[in-house]
Amino acid sequence: MPVVTLRDWIPVALSADLPAATVIPAHTPSGILALWRSANGELATLADRCPHRGMRLSYGFVRGEALSCIYHGWSYGQNGQCRRIPAHPDLTPPAAIKAASYPTEERNGVIWIALGEPKAPPPALEGFKPLRSITLEVDAKLISATGDVRTRLAGVDVLLLIVGISGSETVAHLMVDAAATESDCVTVSRAAEGWRRECEQLGVKELAS
Amino acid sequence: MILYDYILSPDAYKVRLMAALTGLKLELWAVDMHPGREHQSEPLLALNPAGSIPILVDGDLILTESAAMLVYLAKLAAPEWLGENDAADAARIQQWLSFSRRLTDHLGGARATEMLVEPGDLPSLQRAGTVDLREVEAALAERRIVGQCFLAADRATIADIACFPYVALAPDGGLSLDPYPSIRLWMRAIRMLPGFIEMPGIHRLHELKPEPVSDMPETV
Amino acid sequence: MTIGHHAMIDQWYPVALASQLPPEGRTTQLMGTAIRVLPGDPVRVVTGDGRDLRVTLRYGHVWTSLGEPSKDLFDIPEADQPGRRLVEVGVVRVRCSPLRAVENFLDIAHFPFVHTDILGAEPHTEVGKYDVEIREKEDEVWATKVQFYQPQAAKSATGGITTDYMYRVPAPTSTVLYKTCPARPGEWDVITLFVQPLTEELCDVWPWMALFDDETALTDLIHFQQMIFLQDRSILENQIPRLLPLDPGREIPTRADLTSVAYRRWLKRHQFTYGAQLVAQ
Repeated sequence: MPVVTLRDWIPVALSADLPAATVIPAHTPSGILALWRSANGELATLADRCPHRGMRLSYGFVRGEALSCIYHGWSYGQNGQCRRIPAHPDLTPPAAIKAASYPTEERNGVIWIALGEPKAPPPALEGFKPLRSITLEVDAKLISATGDVRTRLAGVDVLLLIVGISGSETVAHLMVDAAATESDCVTVSRAAEGWRRECEQLGVKELAS
Repeated sequence: MILYDYILSPDAYKVRLMAALTGLKLELWAVDMHPGREHQSEPLLALNPAGSIPILVDGDLILTESAAMLVYLAKLAAPEWLGENDAADAARIQQWLSFSRRLTDHLGGARATEMLVEPGDLPSLQRAGTVDLREVEAALAERRIVGQCFLAADRATIADIACFPYVALAPDGGLSLDPYPSIRLWMRAIRMLPGFIEMPGIHRLHELKPEPVSDMPETV
Repeated sequence: MTIGHHAMIDQWYPVALASQLPPEGRTTQLMGTAIRVLPGDPVRVVTGDGRDLRVTLRYGHVWTSLGEPSKDLFDIPEADQPGRRLVEVGVVRVRCSPLRAVENFLDIAHFPFVHTDILGAEPHTEVGKYDVEIREKEDEVWATKVQFYQPQAAKSATGGITTDYMYRVPAPTSTVLYKTCPARPGEWDVITLFVQPLTEELCDVWPWMALFDDETALTDLIHFQQMIFLQDRSILENQIPRLLPLDPGREIPTRADLTSVAYRRWLKRHQFTYGAQLVAQ
């Protein structure tokens, strides 16, 4: 299985899992980030920590074009700049109140985040369509390295975008052959459960040895 | 109809939620489970020898299982919540009603141990709870492949209400819901249902309400 | 344990509800030390290595200390006032710093978002000016003249009112809230949060109340307070870092946070650093 390490862009979620006006936690090897889509469909990624009291912004809510913290309702724009502090409705928040933001791109149904400044866009992954993201309680090194893996599950061509999060957590975004039928997709989704159990057994064996 | 209720009980919340969604009025009778252990007192044991909460009493009828209460409320007020009668759908509903007992045992057990300092083997409850959450996630992922977002029909049913509370409160037992994208969307769909009510640990969807209008010019 | 924690070793902490001690006692921990709370007359608290700790029974709870408290447990004069109902709310475990649990209790700006339609509601989100001081004689943090709009301020409240509050921190992990008493204008209801630090990042929280309310069933009063605290719990378990940062710069306060600012300053002054983060990371 050819393995290409994804250096610049990290796949963090499938587009279908992030509808307009929602926020989700994006797990990356460098920690959790708050990934959100505005009511108008704009994607943004911010540090998952409100600068006010440290509450995770991925627990927050999206209204219009802003992400708000669930704790005190402080809201942030796509660039991470604080726009509104409900406890002081007449105050223009100082520029210093800002959450770090990260480049975010969506391509072929996959959302990618960069921690640096990538020169090229994320890969298109032509010929595949997104199916589902699953989390494995295993070190990615035991499955492959972090990277994309072409293989077959239940007789269907699949592409696994594998991201090692930590020694005990790996995220896999599962893409299937673009020509796969609904029924193929259900079969692959079930097979993925078995693949996860198999991978986690490798982890158990590793611990035992 | 009297519901012997506890504000922190996810099983009691299922019944309150079902009543709210279907517009039924319940008379709530608050039981001092914690710290008073009133559910173990004789008057309540007389209604439910198992000493669990909730208990639903309607005339001569005494129900002590939340899944049965959901069936009762739906039959009375909103039969569409029972789902379709095709064999597979009917079975699917029963499957999830029974499955919800596993959630009570595992996720509920982890929650009682971790949050209310009850005795319990937390790691093994959490391991069993993770298997349950993965099963719900896998089922919902399949439903999404065929264009559905609820567990057992093309609309919310008692199956969703039976499973929603313990899943949503899994973090109370130390189990993060971060790894479950389909569960997240399903919970959102349930929380958006007209008449939805919360319980402590399940927050309001503030995005359903518009931002209060400010007189100040927009600053970006 | 580092030197800086000595100041907190000598404080009193709640470790059980006196009325709820099981015959076999309560096995728990205090600041990382295993202890058992044993029923009897007198109630005893012993460490894993058999040391008897000092014990006092007050406000429904068993209090103890791993060290040598230089003064008695703080006084809440209202607790002895005739006509008040004393409400034992029970215990809730929270995976957070005991200091974060106290700080959250001192905060009103979160009411519309965390206790929606109960203690607060949009658009009534503004926090007006209030007074904060560290009272030197008592060595306590006080916030007074705090006002906030509440849709349902207490179990006995039927509509929205502007509620007055005073906050008091008499010990590093104990705090007392005085708020408008809907049933008896002119008096204050007393709601406390007593926090037992199990470790720096784990605590058992014991809310307790002394209220003027003859109408509401006791169970409803207990459940109201449990509901409020459980709404806070999911916030407290998701603040980063778990420890309370005492150095400025790690978190950004505004005017609404002056009680928190004073609390952090008071903790730092006394080296009350168990559960605190001193160097920003």
